[in-house]
Amino acid sequence: MKSLWVMAAALGVSLSLPAQAQDKVKLVDVIELSGAGAAAGTNWKNGADMAAADINAKGGILGKPVEIVHYDTQTNPGNTRAAVQRAIDENAYAILGPIFSGPIGASMQISQRAEIAQIVGGEAAGFTRQGNPYIFRTSISQAAAMPKIAKYMKETLKAGSIAVVWVNNDFGKGGRDTILPELEKAGIKVAVDVSTEQGQADFTADAIKVKNANADAVFVYLNEEESARFLRAAKQQGITKPMIGETTLLGAKVLELAGDAANGVKGHVGLSTDAPIPALQDFGKRYREKYGFSSDHNGVKGYMAVFMVKWATEKQKKLDKKGVADTLRGATIKASEEPGILMDTVIEQNGDLDRDSFLAEIVNGKQVINTTLPRIKP
Amino acid sequence: MSAPALQNPAPPRRSARRLDAALIGLVLGAVILWFAPVGMGRYGTYVLSLWLVMSIGVMGLNLTLGYAGQSSLAQAAFMGLGAYATAILTTKYGVNWYAAFALSGLLTFAVGLLLGFPALRVRTHYLAFVTLAFSTLIWLVIRNEQWLTGGVYGISNINRPDFVGIKLFGALEFHRFVVVVTLILSLKLWWLVRSPWGRAFTALRENPVRAASLGIDTRTYTLLAFAIGSAYGGFAGSLYAPLVEFIDPSPFSLSQSLFLLLMVVAGGSGYLFGPFVGALLGVVLPEWLRFAGSLYLIIFAAIVLALLVICPQGVCGLFERGWHALRSKTGGAR
Repeated sequence: MKSLWVMAAALGVSLSLPAQAQDKVKLVDVIELSGAGAAAGTNWKNGADMAAADINAKGGILGKPVEIVHYDTQTNPGNTRAAVQRAIDENAYAILGPIFSGPIGASMQISQRAEIAQIVGGEAAGFTRQGNPYIFRTSISQAAAMPKIAKYMKETLKAGSIAVVWVNNDFGKGGRDTILPELEKAGIKVAVDVSTEQGQADFTADAIKVKNANADAVFVYLNEEESARFLRAAKQQGITKPMIGETTLLGAKVLELAGDAANGVKGHVGLSTDAPIPALQDFGKRYREKYGFSSDHNGVKGYMAVFMVKWATEKQKKLDKKGVADTLRGATIKASEEPGILMDTVIEQNGDLDRDSFLAEIVNGKQVINTTLPRIKP
Repeated sequence: MSAPALQNPAPPRRSARRLDAALIGLVLGAVILWFAPVGMGRYGTYVLSLWLVMSIGVMGLNLTLGYAGQSSLAQAAFMGLGAYATAILTTKYGVNWYAAFALSGLLTFAVGLLLGFPALRVRTHYLAFVTLAFSTLIWLVIRNEQWLTGGVYGISNINRPDFVGIKLFGALEFHRFVVVVTLILSLKLWWLVRSPWGRAFTALRENPVRAASLGIDTRTYTLLAFAIGSAYGGFAGSLYAPLVEFIDPSPFSLSQSLFLLLMVVAGGSGYLFGPFVGALLGVVLPEWLRFAGSLYLIIFAAIVLALLVICPQGVCGLFERGWHALRSKTGGAR
């Protein structure tokens, strides 16, 4: 049995890795490559890799090449924590990811203690409200997006009642808890409030509930795969009311999986490769050529995250980890100064973002942007 | 010795000697693990701590399944109960961690006792279904009762305990604390399985009717096996919460219970060291395989699959077979 302990010790020793010299800018990407977040995480990873390739092709950051290491979190908080800890032990310059807010919640104290910027893909409202100065978003949060949706439902759709379908995880519940007060403020009645499960396969029962509620519109707030399944179930049940969503419902993955059923879906998107911004469209095109499928918003977020690090480093003119977070806090990154950021981005003191967003509709399996919505604080 | 010797047929004197070797192994292991993380960095230390915490949970399941033969699919739910009890007591009510640890153990012991009652009526996979339902129930309560458990948002900023005035915030300090707690709990289990209780558990597993005919109160022992095994799950959870400093429902789902079951089987069910090997396979091996990049989970699954095909008794069973083969050779020469 002693051999067991020797084995454990040997494994343990192999886990400890030597620190690396600062001849390159090492970014560690802690990301969902398996488990519930795999689709989102893969997009993000590809986007980050593309950004690194683009930066390195132009001589790196302050003359040093960017190196990105990806660690899978299995969409599990405990594993995410291990991965972030590993990133810090390996002397990462900044940490990218994760996307799901549970794993973000489990790992953000560690980057805070190490005073390293952690640039995440999460959209749930909560984690930027905890006073952690080292956490940064790459997209606008639910708290910023939901008022825009409520306004759209009231003013454009003139809806009097809404069926709300949400996924019962931190993302879905967070969105639902944010939109309900907004709907109430707008005087819109919630006809039915349908909770669904992460990874749920059959949405027939939920679609029937929504159909029977006979609301003026349906607000769908699910992760990508589930969104596609719900849309298919809704089509089978013959639901003809407008389907409204936020970012995920109009994502590239959903269009691919839902096929025809996605046509007519409308909603708000924070980031889209179909937006009327040449830089975003160009990114989308190059991504498709490189990886063989369309990038969703997470791909764009992964790309931007790397450029946020680049911008901050070049702004402070030195490789200073703590300085990255200090420089990003409260900054405005203009696409004219740093084309890689793709669109003008304002970073607030707590790590939230403010920037333009879009209203889109799915027409013939393609996302069409109708309106560009201005920043909340222009 | 020519018998395959899988079910402890060794004469009592030799068995006592072997168990003493187990005691030495436990203490020696603890000493190695006390010093192992020096210079390893926080990541290595964290993985070692996580390994030990999972080992405690697997130890409990090993007692229920490996020694007493009661299949349970609820161990992660018990870990969840322990973790949430500790997190809620320490963050919301300011209870000292040690008291919370004890209360978590008591709570899971009591709930385990209750869950043990169906085990008196149903066995094998029927029992697994009962525990599966229980596991789902606990998960739903954790997720839906937001006022108490924080629901899907979880509970964050869970503090780590002090030890006689020493703060255990650092990775190394907390790791050493986990080593000590693991040692105490595994010594307790070592004592338990070689006591008459342990014999009774094994008798229960092998043949409940015969066990009853020998005067063993099968009802009490079945309930106890469940309750003690569950309490170990609770203890593991109670350490997991301050280790990760954040909990949400996902690590306590049914799939995690299945994973814990896998660790028991892969490590060697019914062996004292089985849980450590099993948790090593389940927690440390995937981390170690990360050098293989995106293939690491596939490699991990292939290794576990191959292992279970080659040695259904788990790694410890394989060791024992090898050991006996070696002994029968040298013994023959003696």
